[in-house]
Amino acid sequence: MFTTGSKFLIGSAVFAIIATIAYGISQDGVMGTIGLASAAAALSFLAGVNIFTHDSNVSGSDASAIDSCAAAEPAPANSIWPLAFALGAVVLAVGLITYQAVFIIGIVLLLAAGAEWTTQAWAEQASAEAAHNSEVRSRIANPLEFPLAAAIGVGLIVYAFSRVMLWLSKTNTVIALGVLGAIIVSVAFLLAYRPGLRSRTAVGVIGVGVLALVVGGAAAGLDGERDVHEQETTVDLAHEGICESPEEFEADHNASQSVAATAAVAATITLDDSGELNYELNGPRPEGATALTLQRSSPSNVLFSNKSGEERRLSLNLGPATAGSGADEEDAPHQVCTTLVEFDGEQNLTLIIGLPSIAAEDGYHFFVPGVESAELELIVP
Amino acid sequence: METTSTVNKMSRRIRIGLIAALGLAVAGCAQDAPQDTFDPAGENAQKIQDLQVPIFILAGVVGLIVLSVLTFVLIRFRDRGQAIPEQSHGNPMLEIVLTIIPALILIGISIPTVGTILALSETDDTECIINVTGQQWWWEVDYPVQDGCGGISDVIITSGQMVIPTGTEVLVRGTSRDVIHSWWIPRLNGKKDMVPGRVHNVRLQADEPGIYAGQCTEFCGLSHANMRMEVIAMDPDDFETWKAGQMAEYVAPEEGTLAAEGEATFIAQCSRCHQVNGLEDDDGNPIIARPDLQVYSGATPNLSWLMTRNTFAGASWDLLTPECRADVWDASPETVGEKYLEGVSPECLNSVDFREWLRNAPAKKPMYTDPTELEETGGLPRGMPDLGLGEDQIDQLVAYLLERQ
Repeated sequence: MFTTGSKFLIGSAVFAIIATIAYGISQDGVMGTIGLASAAAALSFLAGVNIFTHDSNVSGSDASAIDSCAAAEPAPANSIWPLAFALGAVVLAVGLITYQAVFIIGIVLLLAAGAEWTTQAWAEQASAEAAHNSEVRSRIANPLEFPLAAAIGVGLIVYAFSRVMLWLSKTNTVIALGVLGAIIVSVAFLLAYRPGLRSRTAVGVIGVGVLALVVGGAAAGLDGERDVHEQETTVDLAHEGICESPEEFEADHNASQSVAATAAVAATITLDDSGELNYELNGPRPEGATALTLQRSSPSNVLFSNKSGEERRLSLNLGPATAGSGADEEDAPHQVCTTLVEFDGEQNLTLIIGLPSIAAEDGYHFFVPGVESAELELIVP
Repeated sequence: METTSTVNKMSRRIRIGLIAALGLAVAGCAQDAPQDTFDPAGENAQKIQDLQVPIFILAGVVGLIVLSVLTFVLIRFRDRGQAIPEQSHGNPMLEIVLTIIPALILIGISIPTVGTILALSETDDTECIINVTGQQWWWEVDYPVQDGCGGISDVIITSGQMVIPTGTEVLVRGTSRDVIHSWWIPRLNGKKDMVPGRVHNVRLQADEPGIYAGQCTEFCGLSHANMRMEVIAMDPDDFETWKAGQMAEYVAPEEGTLAAEGEATFIAQCSRCHQVNGLEDDDGNPIIARPDLQVYSGATPNLSWLMTRNTFAGASWDLLTPECRADVWDASPETVGEKYLEGVSPECLNSVDFREWLRNAPAKKPMYTDPTELEETGGLPRGMPDLGLGEDQIDQLVAYLLERQ
């Protein structure tokens, strides 16, 4: 009379009734009592339905039923996704109270694990044959999984490589790239010369290389980047009259992109220890020339080199405002200057001078605030 | 019948192929080739010639061997329905040999190549420094104050044509105002990219007087093909005469002349962009052109001595009529400097092209000047816009500009 399933449901219903009574007596909470009573009623209803329909009725002596019932089907393989999903939830929760990056990782993990879990669960219902189900899952998921995994792998390698490169000094970077190139050529030569080499060996060699790179990248990332000399910009500070001041001031420390401009500059202007300004060109300086010539309206990079023994800046009066400065005429700076440059330091100054020298009453002159003898004429044809 | 037809078709194709090959070969025999890189006219270009000829020969021999072997293999082992030959992964020894041989050839080529590159980048021995600045679509040339070039006491600024003394190592220092351009006078040296914000050097030296043509070789926009330049090499004595002319004081046109009316028109219509050194307003103040407010590159050609040049509009058109141009270009090395220094006389002025230019410049040279299409450049055109000048104004301007020499 009582089937296997109905026994389970009757037992659950009895347990729920007892729990309802116990909770109702011992606790004041009405809602809990109602909930447990509802559960007891639902379980009792299901037990009645089960008894009426004789569902889940498997007899220990019924061999054919044992072979055909759901319990006789091979269980699905263990899945990692519930665990990953739980881990994602935990990481997400931790991220809520720690760092945004951890929170984002948690969300990504949660979504990825959820998608994989859902796909796997769906595939396991495709048929009674596990191999077929696995194939169905692969057919659906692999076109997305493979490119994504490849992108993550490549991204990881590139990121690790960039961390290592930023960690190494300029000289060691050259050495490291030389060694890396030699290793790649050697391995490639080995693989080409020994075509019989087992693919597992080749994969192992490459795997070790990638692992070493990722580990190195992680270590380098934790240790931090090498010191990068930042080039500060001053264009926004010219309005404050700072170009005539020998004092220190705050400047933009995020302008290191101008480092690239320090190659092939229009001129290198040096303040020597006697307080004189001299200039050198990329190539020989015109014989007998005392003034520096720069083209009108042309972006010209001038490198200031301070050899004076004190912190100094290089300034230039631009005369009337020009559209070539990149600002509205009313707001255009009339002066440009470097920030204070330490002894033996260098800093780039980009000039765009829209008007020729004859437009300025006294012409253009570079000067160094605080050093009266430091002056250099600039000719703009 | 079918076989005969097939043979005729093949024969016709072979004939067409031979004619095409002959046409290509003959094209390399042009006599009037002012930009012939195989015709060096100075020691720098000669160094390139000394390098490229043997390398071309070597490359030709290698190419011939490879093509011959390839052709032999294709014919000898073509598919005749025979069995597929034994398949193997490769022949390591053969592959190593075929790697080492090209590597040795490349090493052999690289040694003189690096030597030539270093020699051409040498600057310490240069005696005369000239700046060139590229912008869409013309070249500005300026000569800084220096003792070199025989002494220059005041900055000289010109465009389109660079004048140099013969037998002198000239250092050209180049940059760009807008996009990357490339400066190349094939008969005097190799090409050099001119990059905004950077200064690049190229050395020039001409053995004998002459006019050496070139053009921008880095695609730089709509009128890239119209961005030309010329180097005029002249005897040091002629060069001194040219310099003196470029540094001369401004002389205003005689009052009451058409040229005087042209000066007024120039001030009203042209001086916003074009500088003429020495030009003054009614109060005696120098008139300063403001191309930085008018055109995208921030620069326009200085017209102080326009008619001492032979070209205009980025050297795209000649200021001289074809006959007068031929008189200069075909002159002997002994007389070319003298001919060039004659400048542009009223009789020799190529008034057709010059007036067309003044009448509507963008119609003659594409320059992005339509005001409705200048969002990216903040409303600034990349060249000379149509000024809507009347014929009277053009007459006046021509008369005035003819005196700019």
